[in-house]
Amino acid sequence: MAKTAEELRLEKAIRDEQDLQGSKSTLHVPDFEQIERSAGFKDLMKKKKQFLIPTTILFLGLYLLFNFVISYTNWLDAPFVGDIPWVWVFAFGLFAMTWILVTVYMKKAARFDRMAEETLKEFGYEEKEDVR
Amino acid sequence: MSPTVIIIFLFIVAMTLVITYYAAKRTKSTSDFYTAGGGLTGWQNGLAIAGDYLSAASFLGIAGAIALFGFDGFLFSIGYLVAYLVVLFVVAEPLRNLGKYTLADMINARFNAKKVRGAAALSSITIVIFYMIAQLVGAGALIQLLFGIEYIWAVLLVGIMMTIYVLFGGMTATSWVQIIKAVLLMVGTVILSFLVLKNFNFNIMEMFTHMKTATPHGEAYLQPGVRYKIPLDTISLMLALVLGTAGLPHILMRFFTVRDAKTARSSVMWATWIVGIFYVMTIFLGFGAAAFVGADLITSTNPAGNMAAPLLAQALGGDILMSFISAVAFATILAVVAGLVLSGASAFAHDIYGQIIKKGKATERQQMLAARYASVGVAVFSIILAIFAQSLNVAFLVSLAFCIAASANLPVIVYTIFWKKFNTAGAISAILTGLISALVLVSVSPSVMSPEVGAAIITGNPLFPLTNPAIVSIPLGFIGGLIGTLVSNEINAKKFAEVKVRANTGGFKQL
Repeated sequence: MAKTAEELRLEKAIRDEQDLQGSKSTLHVPDFEQIERSAGFKDLMKKKKQFLIPTTILFLGLYLLFNFVISYTNWLDAPFVGDIPWVWVFAFGLFAMTWILVTVYMKKAARFDRMAEETLKEFGYEEKEDVR
Repeated sequence: MSPTVIIIFLFIVAMTLVITYYAAKRTKSTSDFYTAGGGLTGWQNGLAIAGDYLSAASFLGIAGAIALFGFDGFLFSIGYLVAYLVVLFVVAEPLRNLGKYTLADMINARFNAKKVRGAAALSSITIVIFYMIAQLVGAGALIQLLFGIEYIWAVLLVGIMMTIYVLFGGMTATSWVQIIKAVLLMVGTVILSFLVLKNFNFNIMEMFTHMKTATPHGEAYLQPGVRYKIPLDTISLMLALVLGTAGLPHILMRFFTVRDAKTARSSVMWATWIVGIFYVMTIFLGFGAAAFVGADLITSTNPAGNMAAPLLAQALGGDILMSFISAVAFATILAVVAGLVLSGASAFAHDIYGQIIKKGKATERQQMLAARYASVGVAVFSIILAIFAQSLNVAFLVSLAFCIAASANLPVIVYTIFWKKFNTAGAISAILTGLISALVLVSVSPSVMSPEVGAAIITGNPLFPLTNPAIVSIPLGFIGGLIGTLVSNEINAKKFAEVKVRANTGGFKQL
């Protein structure tokens, strides 16, 4: 009994897969180099790089700096307030940095999304073509 | 075992089985099996990422390490968290936009070559196996301590549970087990943190002042250097942690369970908050255990300190809280190993069988069967290895998995997305150089070789001085990709344009 139910499910899945392949064959392939050269896409890449490159250097740099400082020096052993040493403040600072950069990126990325959407629209791509 | 433990334990097992039952009904296609049909929302996937990521090593291990070593116990958490920025900025969105089920899919969006896929599958499988042995051996030892079950039965119990989830419920069951585990883990940690802070009158200053004299380390407890004394070794390890997360197959796989890059992004945001808040709370757990349980009792129960959190629960909340925390630890183990089985199975069944052997022409039915056979295969293989590895010190295996992920997977991901000249030869040599250099260096490192008889697998002087080779093997992975690319003169600007457009806009997914 269970086996027949299983077979039915698989048959349906095969049909779905065939449908998907059917839609694939009728799809027009765009000229990606043309999109790549378009002003909209170039602008998107520029804006992305302007954000991602400096922030990546910043967070990896601070992270490595922290590890070098705690491994080779005892600069951060001194107390910050009361009995809390600086090292905890910097460690928490790296946590805060992560949360802040994630939040900032979410805002930036919403703009990247709009730019990407405009580029895609310009080249006649519709969201509904997205068949998974 | 007290009756409370048994009741809570059975409740968790029953709940996950009910989930698996409903998930099984919804698992009809390979897409359902590997990606839960791609229908998870941002917060669901964020919780599942946290559930996949926060292993027993994070929960029990870090709490214990902080209890015993103070700041040095907390150090890893910083690497584990900052790593999510690499995931978010570099990997998550292109992966979602280019891939289908595995990392190899994403790389093959650019190079349609079996050899590249084979190399990527090989490195994924290696990482999964190492990570899995570490998890299972750790799980066996922990369950032995928590519930008094013999090691071999503990491993079998965890092994059978993970196989059931994956085999029947696929990614849907695995995701929901991870989501529930993440919620339980957060609830457990919040309760414990609250009780610890209450004992310090909710005053952080008072807590630190108390900790300064509460442990055998004295003032040094609050400063770095109690545990990690070799600077370059520490830096190498921290490098593996921050760059490795973005190459872990079971974490990468989670990004295929959402519909688009936007949801992938918001799931990283959720994960970052949950994981970060969790790690902050492990400080309270560790300090609390050191203050209210004491280093002597913690190490006499388990020398590695893994019992610090359950003992703290016992001290502050009695048997019921201890039972709850033990059950949470059990759920934690299950959620992580289920994710690992699934990612190992996808590399075998989708990459090696479906794409390489069957050249992408396997029927849906064949793919589904292969996925299920591969899941059982991965599970059985790891259970057997774990049973024989009982006496092995597995702590280094997790850091090795991060190191391979950073050395073999990250360079190829970065080059594939950003470097126009990158080619097939470069992709293969990036993966293999990173993978082989990490494995070779670790096999001649102090983790494997020790002059003391019986202290490590091989007796002899280590040929490589660092316990984690990341600081050497990550650059080697990048250099390998560079040399491989320059040696071969193949270049396909058209294909790169396609990958660049698709990775950055999220359009044309079905190509």
